[in-house]
Amino acid sequence: MEPITLVIILVCIIIGGMFGSLGVHLLPVGGAPAAMSTATGIATGCVMLMTGSAMTGLFTASTVANFWGTNPDVFLVSLSGGVGAMLMMGFTMLIGNLIYIFGAGIVPVSGRVAVDPITKEPQTEYKTPRTDGHGVPNVAFYSGMIGGLVGGFGGALIYVVLVSQGYAGFSVETAVIVALGIFIANAIMAAYNIGGTIEGFHDPKFKERIVTGLTCAFIVSLMCGILVLIAIETGALAAGGMV
Amino acid sequence: MLFAWMLVIVFLAFVACMFEDLESDIGSQSNPNSQIQLAPEMGYIHRYYNKAISGEGLSNALACTISGTIALLLLLMLEPMLVAKDMPLGYAAILAIPVGAMVGSIVHMVRCSTCHLGRESAHKRFEQPIFLDVWIGHLIPIATHNFLTVICITAIAYIQSHLTLLSGVSGASNPFPLPLLCLIWGITVGAIGSSTGDIHYGTERAFQDKPFGEGRRVVYHGQICRYGDCGIRTSKDVAAFCAKYGGPATGLTFGLIVLFENWRTVIGMVLGGLTKTELAHPGVAAGYGIGIGIGVAIVLIVLNTWLVKWARAKYGPFVGE
Amino acid sequence: MAEEETKGEEEKKPKEEFKLSFDYFNETRLGILALIVGVIITIAAYSPSLPALVKGIGVMLVILWGADSVRKTARYGLGTGVPSIGVLAVGFGLVGAMTGMAIGSAVYDMIGPAGILGILIGIGLMAVIGYVSGILANGDKFINMKIPGLERGMMELAVAGTLAIILECSIIGGTWDADTILRQPVLGTVPPVAFVALMFIMAGFGMLQPLNSCLGADERRGRTLLMAIEIGGINCIILGLITVMTLGAVQGASLIVLGAIVWVVFYRAYVKACLEESYEVVGTGMIKTLGG
Repeated sequence: MEPITLVIILVCIIIGGMFGSLGVHLLPVGGAPAAMSTATGIATGCVMLMTGSAMTGLFTASTVANFWGTNPDVFLVSLSGGVGAMLMMGFTMLIGNLIYIFGAGIVPVSGRVAVDPITKEPQTEYKTPRTDGHGVPNVAFYSGMIGGLVGGFGGALIYVVLVSQGYAGFSVETAVIVALGIFIANAIMAAYNIGGTIEGFHDPKFKERIVTGLTCAFIVSLMCGILVLIAIETGALAAGGMV
Repeated sequence: MLFAWMLVIVFLAFVACMFEDLESDIGSQSNPNSQIQLAPEMGYIHRYYNKAISGEGLSNALACTISGTIALLLLLMLEPMLVAKDMPLGYAAILAIPVGAMVGSIVHMVRCSTCHLGRESAHKRFEQPIFLDVWIGHLIPIATHNFLTVICITAIAYIQSHLTLLSGVSGASNPFPLPLLCLIWGITVGAIGSSTGDIHYGTERAFQDKPFGEGRRVVYHGQICRYGDCGIRTSKDVAAFCAKYGGPATGLTFGLIVLFENWRTVIGMVLGGLTKTELAHPGVAAGYGIGIGIGVAIVLIVLNTWLVKWARAKYGPFVGE
Repeated sequence: MAEEETKGEEEKKPKEEFKLSFDYFNETRLGILALIVGVIITIAAYSPSLPALVKGIGVMLVILWGADSVRKTARYGLGTGVPSIGVLAVGFGLVGAMTGMAIGSAVYDMIGPAGILGILIGIGLMAVIGYVSGILANGDKFINMKIPGLERGMMELAVAGTLAIILECSIIGGTWDADTILRQPVLGTVPPVAFVALMFIMAGFGMLQPLNSCLGADERRGRTLLMAIEIGGINCIILGLITVMTLGAVQGASLIVLGAIVWVVFYRAYVKACLEESYEVVGTGMIKTLGG
């Protein structure tokens, strides 16, 4: 295989991994306390949320990649995956807010900032004292949508560059497995980086930890990418012998 | 026919996610379970079912993937026989999907039985007894709710992987094999059930004696409501409450997600020149799909902004201390 | 030989029930045993004549090692919960297994039978990636989680995950040769790789559920690991059902019987251990109230 194709595959894997990690940093993850309305964010753990949105993105990407058959357009397919994950996050957050507002009677506010940086709504006087915010306020919602888009884009990018006959040319199942493995590795390292919960890009934790997170994602993706390149070079997984 | 099958998938998705949330309420799983875990440590002995298998996404994925595998095995075994006898292939699916779901639910039930024992016996020093009627009495409701979730998800995966056969449009099937589709939807349904339905259980039902209209403060953690309408509450009482709001809302989430995903893809395909045999302009199809998706996202953002503004105006700042 | 050793160990356990004197196998010794036995069975698994029974025992041992490693690492509090590190292990395992099988098959095609040692290159590279991830997660200049032994733990988990996936693939396909696993239609038109979702989730579950379900102040290692073997038993039953259809009734049925026996024995031992070591077991009853 020509060196330039190998380099493109490696670069796409690294970009995909880093986008996956960035997506995890942007999602408003509340963890277990959010289910008790003690913290802001979506009421689930980081791992579940990011695997769920990545899987939806991967599913949409595979359907769209099937339109072309052998040489999918890398950018359009990845963007479809991103939009799929973004819609999933959007609906989850919106209906979550409906349950917070009408089921528990609380106002969605953030616990980390006194004023919403985008809509300029004051937060502190609406917050229950002795909690760390509750619900999914507007800025967390926007952050979650962007996080879904970015994370889904990353996962779908790794998948499409592996399945396309013009690049690595793996079979569909092999490409999905490898894409899933690389995405999970990056996303869990990012989850450890944020310590389990984060409110989104307005959270002070985001500015502190994003550089470390992206560096770790770069190193992990680079190593996994080199492994995948070795596997491609052996020719055992590639298009030549494919059904 | 393609759109008709899309509608069937959306309906199945609604039912699947609703029952997933109710199942995670009967066996108190995932996020609110941290309170059930904390309660004995603070002296509040309870009669809840402390089911802590793993995250909801993974435990649901286990049941669904096992069901998908068994269904695939049965389909591969039965379809050659049906083709040889020239009978329609639907006969194979109608046997394979429920049997697969049954095996998946039984495995799920076994996993549930071990984790309640494990967690409660690790609470020895806090004097939490193991109630045998709680342990055995919840297993069948958990298995039945899980069966409904799993059979719906297996059916969705079956339809999506055989869409070419079912609708007559070539290239409509998803290229993934059946167990992998079950894994994907299993994790997604678990993640959604964990994010939306758990709020109703964790905030409202578990702390029902705390005031309505405020978040649960950190000092309340562990002080769950242990008494029911008549006597002491078990996890079965939780499902009846959450089925009024949390369960259907969760089902609505997944149903809407599947609806908009499939609908915008198919509209894109139609606008890109879909015929029974091929798709004329794949780039145009993908582009329209992305455009509709971004349009829906903008509507969601507007809806949420308006909703939060309405709540702030209607409820007002926090009153009390 | 490996079979007798592990069967002997299994024999010991039910007799001593929950007083497992399994204490000889502390974490390091269990790791070394599982690594050596696992690697030997993995290399031998290339040949289709190795019975699925032996591979099944290999899978159970490797999952046991993984669960022990998760327990060692996650006890200190990861921040995101126990399932995260279990899923990380199988995530690494997927990438490592694909690479290992590809390298092993290619080297075999080039230089003949000695070439199956090529799979060790894949496993070794994955161990390096696991160790580097551990350094990233624990190091001062990076994520800085300050968990003792995280580097070693992540390396063990990466290797355990890779071995588990390779062994499960070879159970279904008969061999882990990449051509068979990825392309050969062993069941209708379906290659063994179609079942990789099942392998992923079952191996992951075997590693993450034991600690997550036994978490608490009075958790005991012997009891927790009983659950890991019990999950291995269910794993063998389901893989056996698939093997009946791909490799034939003899291999499949023997694997199902092994899985069923292991599951019944260890499930009973686990339930007995939990019931006897809990505070109190009552049929039903009222709860203690706090000050009325």
